[in-house]
Amino acid sequence: MNVYTKFRSMMDNHIILSFKGEITSDIITMVLQIMESRLEAEEAKSSVKKKIFNILVECMQNLYHHAEAEVEAEITTRKAMLEMYFDDSYYNIITGNYMKNEEVEKLKSRLDKVNSLTKEELRGFYREILDNNLISKKGGANLGMIDMARKSGEKLEYHFTKVNDSLTFFDLKVRISNKKKGKKGQEETLQSVS
Amino acid sequence: MDNLFIEGTKQTPEVKFEANTGILEIKGRSIPENTFEFFNPVLLWLEEYSKAPVEKTIVKVNLEYFNTSSSKYILEIFKRVKTVFTDGHNVLVEWYYEEDDEEMMETGEDYEDVSGLPFELISVEED
Repeated sequence: MNVYTKFRSMMDNHIILSFKGEITSDIITMVLQIMESRLEAEEAKSSVKKKIFNILVECMQNLYHHAEAEVEAEITTRKAMLEMYFDDSYYNIITGNYMKNEEVEKLKSRLDKVNSLTKEELRGFYREILDNNLISKKGGANLGMIDMARKSGEKLEYHFTKVNDSLTFFDLKVRISNKKKGKKGQEETLQSVS
Repeated sequence: MDNLFIEGTKQTPEVKFEANTGILEIKGRSIPENTFEFFNPVLLWLEEYSKAPVEKTIVKVNLEYFNTSSSKYILEIFKRVKTVFTDGHNVLVEWYYEEDDEEMMETGEDYEDVSGLPFELISVEED
């Protein structure tokens, strides 16, 4: 693919951000800084900006805390991916990372549970975990998926791809509508990003 | 005892806890990766404060963003303050949110419910 074709495809797919590599603390800070100024310029509603920013923080910190290392040609890296694009009035945030096979089932059941709950049930579940669970040794509060589902108001889309005997690739898509319910309940369409 | 002052950064909130007035203020954003490192001194200060609080303690929380890992520590702060309250002192949590930020308002309600402390939810105009 020549560079222009690649550029066009990024334009046509409304790619806002695309990253592959290890998510470090510095990278998180930089990405947030870039996204903040970009959203400032392009997205009018502060509530939508906040949702995107919040979900982006959770997504990146998930990668920071949970991405499993992969050994390739004797080099160990905690490579992960992060992409954000705009499509049909939704902002989409995609993450991808390796995880241990034996941890898949627990994560899958958490995701399925979160996806099965209504808005009010999610709130109850959030309160329950907030009050009862301890911080894990990785620094997680066990609230990330619940919080993202609450803030996005959409189901979390995910896939697990088994890579080998020890690792699975986990990808997650979180969608955030840029339509906001107005004070009287009608939807307002906001300026879109391209 | 000494007051606690921590300057805000892009990742961590400003903390201004005054032992002599009982006004404990947290504002800004709280999204550090290592939340323990940031919140531990705050919780230790509160433990000392709760031994000899002033008659009325006001906790002002004015956060723009916080990550889920901070949310646990925010609850820990309220739990420390709760001991002051159950010891018979006056406590009020002022929870500030931008008027358009429904989630931050709901989160305030969640904390009110879980902590069992008296809350005042205060809507402020956006900048």
